[in-house]
Amino acid sequence: MENVLARVQEVFHDAFGTDPQLISLETTPSDVPAWDSVGHLDLASRLERGFGISFDVDDLMGMENVREIVRIINSKL
Amino acid sequence: MAVTPGNNFSGRLVKRLGEHSYLIDAATGEAILPSDLHQLIPSFGASLLSTGLKPGDRILIGCISSPSSSIAYLGAMYAGLVPVPVEESVLVASIADMLKGTGARAVWTEKSFRFDGIPKTGVLVLHGHPAERRADPLPSARCEKNALAALVATSGSTGIPRFVMVSHGNLTANTEAIIRSQYLSNDERAMLILPLSYCFGASVLHTHLYQGGGVVFDRRFMFPDKVLHAINKYECTTFAGVPTVYNILLRRSNIRSITMPSLRRFLQAGGPLAPQRVAEIRAAVPKPKFYVMYGQTEATARISCLQPEHLDEKLGSAGRPLDNLTVRIVDEDGKNLPAGQVGEIMVKGPSITLGYLNEPEESLRVFNHGWLRTGDLAHLDADGYIWIDGRKGTFLKMRGVRVSFAEVEAKVAAVPGVYECTAAAVTHPEVGEALALYIVPDKGAGDVIDQVRRSLPVYWTCESIQIVSEIPKTARGKVSRASLPVKAIGTYE
Repeated sequence: MENVLARVQEVFHDAFGTDPQLISLETTPSDVPAWDSVGHLDLASRLERGFGISFDVDDLMGMENVREIVRIINSKL
Repeated sequence: MAVTPGNNFSGRLVKRLGEHSYLIDAATGEAILPSDLHQLIPSFGASLLSTGLKPGDRILIGCISSPSSSIAYLGAMYAGLVPVPVEESVLVASIADMLKGTGARAVWTEKSFRFDGIPKTGVLVLHGHPAERRADPLPSARCEKNALAALVATSGSTGIPRFVMVSHGNLTANTEAIIRSQYLSNDERAMLILPLSYCFGASVLHTHLYQGGGVVFDRRFMFPDKVLHAINKYECTTFAGVPTVYNILLRRSNIRSITMPSLRRFLQAGGPLAPQRVAEIRAAVPKPKFYVMYGQTEATARISCLQPEHLDEKLGSAGRPLDNLTVRIVDEDGKNLPAGQVGEIMVKGPSITLGYLNEPEESLRVFNHGWLRTGDLAHLDADGYIWIDGRKGTFLKMRGVRVSFAEVEAKVAAVPGVYECTAAAVTHPEVGEALALYIVPDKGAGDVIDQVRRSLPVYWTCESIQIVSEIPKTARGKVSRASLPVKAIGTYE
């Protein structure tokens, strides 16, 4: 889980320029100004490329915080 | 006390509210009843006047897509103040520029913020839900038809936004023409995900309330299925989106399986949506009518509309001018061009706004004897339909909103380590057009790419940043966007 989180933090940095230290499992879209509807898709594409996985629409709807993102990624690895 | 309609747009709107005029927040379930809304707009206006603000004073309204922002905006206008709707996040980030640019005497946000950069005296900072700021309602402020009703931000030639001066008469004329073009009845309910600070978003609020209908607000479009379920739950009849929104719905939502039987119409504006995407939306949700529209903040909101019954025949067109507007296509000397020839679109009519605040020269250039120079290039066909062919190379359109290259370049050039910058537009699957930046760094500067990325507003999408040794220029020393390495779009210089 920690390893996946660290890689997710890096993707947040690449996508939104957010300091990786500020991204925790509890982080939600309201904590990251650029994490809006378009940002969400950009983030998802970067995660897909970074982890070599693909998300379906229901995965995207479920990514309401970083904990859920990590959980969904883990379920596909 | 009886309220006479008069010229005050908000006053007229309040008078026309009906039994369907609910304002609902889909995320929280908060609902403002029609009878309360009828009271809240005037009483919020009265509470502003009780603080010592006077009609004509400008007030920044921090907007999120919500009932309370809408009431604050309409309440200020009702009292004769001049609301300046600004996205709450933008307001918090650039309050000093906003105050300076508008001369506002007050700022309202629903939540309380610690604003940095506000002068210690002279600016009134107000917050709280309009329902908590009540005063005995007064009649709407009397005003002339061409009195300033609102200032609406748009991208200018510097890093600081420019403000379009919209009159009460502009709002009334455009709202009534849009209602006619969409055949809105008095039992409509719009699903609004667009910000109120954006003229398209505001026009949806205006038209639905003015016609006695209501609005559901939803800020959760990053999870589009939630919005689609809310359309169903609240039985919305209208959905409005820019191309980005429809692209996301088609690629990243369950629009094909979520049922929305109440929906009567889709509204689409804010740049061209590929004809193929229009066809896909109609195949996914066949019942609602699909309206393509074209407009600009400088024209209050909407300029033209493609009626659904002509959609197949004229797919790709921006439709015909609203019934109170005249459109012509002109060459560079301002001479009328015949059907089929491409030139700049000029628009005249009662919804052409008063001009740019504090920019007399630019206003004279763009608003020429009542004719608005749109900067968009188009031709008319034999039936009078507008076909947009591009635009003069001064803007790109991200998420349906115009952003001037000059503003982008001014912002990037201000980042330490940047010697020179130029911006181009590239096509992007979600936002329509995104930025491609070319930067000449200062000698010995560190990692400017990261710095630049962080300095851009969050609602700008930057596809690429490239470090180059020089910016291509024309013989006259102007930046030649056409000579940039990417295939830039929208450059008709």
